[in-house]
Amino acid sequence: MSAHAYTTPPAANPHSKLRPSRYWIAAVVAGVVVLALIASSLLNYVYLETIPARASLYGLLAVALVALGTFIGVRAFTRDRASRRKHLIRAGVLLGLGVLLWLLVIDVFVFTQSAGPTVAAICALACLPTTAFGLLVVRRMDRNEKEPWRLVLVAAAWGAIVATSLVIWGESLWDATAQHTLVPGPGLDASIAFSAGLLEELAKGAAVVLLFLVMRDDFDDVVDGIVYGAAVGLGFNFLESVAYMTNIYSIFNPEGIGWEAAGIQWYARQVLGLFFGHATYTAFIGAGLGVARQLPHLRQKALAILSGFLIAIAGHFAWDAWLTFFPIDPGVLGLLEFHLRTLIMTGPFTAAVIALLLFGIRYEALGLVDQFRKEAASGSGTILMDEVPVLASPWQRLKQRLLAFRRGGFKAYFEVARLQSAQLDLAMERWHRERKEMDTPMEAEAALRQRVLELRHQVPAS
Amino acid sequence: MSVAPYDQILTLYRTLLVFATVAVLILGVGLVEFVYFEPPGQTTGKTAHIVGVLEYDPATRTTKGPDRTTFARTDEFAGVVDWSQLPPDLMVDARWFNSFGSIVGRVGPGTAAELGPQSTVPVIVPPGLHHSLPGHYTFVVERLKDGQPVEVLARRIVLIER
Repeated sequence: MSAHAYTTPPAANPHSKLRPSRYWIAAVVAGVVVLALIASSLLNYVYLETIPARASLYGLLAVALVALGTFIGVRAFTRDRASRRKHLIRAGVLLGLGVLLWLLVIDVFVFTQSAGPTVAAICALACLPTTAFGLLVVRRMDRNEKEPWRLVLVAAAWGAIVATSLVIWGESLWDATAQHTLVPGPGLDASIAFSAGLLEELAKGAAVVLLFLVMRDDFDDVVDGIVYGAAVGLGFNFLESVAYMTNIYSIFNPEGIGWEAAGIQWYARQVLGLFFGHATYTAFIGAGLGVARQLPHLRQKALAILSGFLIAIAGHFAWDAWLTFFPIDPGVLGLLEFHLRTLIMTGPFTAAVIALLLFGIRYEALGLVDQFRKEAASGSGTILMDEVPVLASPWQRLKQRLLAFRRGGFKAYFEVARLQSAQLDLAMERWHRERKEMDTPMEAEAALRQRVLELRHQVPAS
Repeated sequence: MSVAPYDQILTLYRTLLVFATVAVLILGVGLVEFVYFEPPGQTTGKTAHIVGVLEYDPATRTTKGPDRTTFARTDEFAGVVDWSQLPPDLMVDARWFNSFGSIVGRVGPGTAAELGPQSTVPVIVPPGLHHSLPGHYTFVVERLKDGQPVEVLARRIVLIER
């Protein structure tokens, strides 16, 4: 028997029965989301404030087009090159239509709000660079195998458009009922905080669940889960920031301090709370799903997913309910209190998610190094034994790419980057197959191996 | 005999379970807080009578005009309570909350008999501002027990336009 046979793990599930059931669950989740959106928009239109509700109703078609467009677009990359272009064009047309319709809806919505379109546009522009920075940082947290931008952006778009639309009706109904029945004060605050924690985290979490179910090849472990979860949270935070800034501007503008008030909101949500807030909460949902991805038993998987949701809901609840227990002094001391409040209340949650992330990165790295060695020992030529220390370290990989850059410019840099990326993909595939977490056939691994060999021929020997 | 290596994913899983336990505790504390401030079984069946929410003249400390549900932000306004509808020894207060949940007007606490002369409860413009902030304002007449509001005896919500 050859060395290759000893070191290549057998196909864990070459003809998995998991894939169809996963897709069925995803279809059910998507169906529930669509129904909830339709119900929410109709009920908003009938019972709540007419203008925003009308926007929400008209926005349904835009949301559906964007959802369908992104689904087709994302799936296009898993198809062969011949049909990929056709699917990408379809996705592009649908996305374009959706965006146009959405802009129209926003236009109508914004023009009928007291802040006006200029203020809304300025607020959105102010939030764009900070949110983009947040997404860049979050994506870079995955040191070994960065998530594709298309999925990170889909996650953020869901958080901004779909999740916010999902919660309007539920939160409005809950808040209105509470305000008409409960005693104003901490009890009412707690009730509204339960509504925000529960409904917003469920709406954001639905996106991470769908990515977990549909894009399994790009959802490897706890690190990926945290990246996707945080991206959804950043998207939600973007639209919520714009809404709060425009609202607070219109409230305080007659007093002559509209921009100051909006600026404080921007700082609180887009600087201080960029990572200490929605990004942290939803990252926990992703962490739960990521851990579940690698657990062997169904009961453990279910508990891990439930735990992620529970932590996210509790973190969100704690901030909303107990914020008022930390009053801010109007003087200079208030500046310090303002920052300390965020650090004390959300800091422990952010620290906990960072701890999970660091442990996850270390765990992933150990698994990959093990697979680099096994693949090198197999003699397939995809990974050489002296490449293992380089592939094992992000800094060494960067150093190798920079050396290539010095030798052959950008072309050489990207050739080496593509080779490293393909080698990491192969090791990741082997890792999952060895752990029996794989439902793609063995041919997928053979194709990855072939791709590495092709890329190796393009890279000149160093 | 070979021992299967310890899978570190279980460490992550157990860490997650520990965090989830803390989360359940937090949500439990929230529930206790809610029950403490909204104690069950406090419904007495008594209701207070809010005569109306009217325009208010701070110079003369009197109300004028009809009962309204909307006001301009430059308007001064006040809620008017008929305390005589309540048992005289009942411990009560009346409060105004703005859309941020801040108290912007109050009389009491005291017994309904003590508060009898203070039937008008104006909204006070917060310091540093020229007028009331826009949004929904809630006016409540509350029954107190051990110094804490436990039951809303009457409620009115008015809109301050932008």
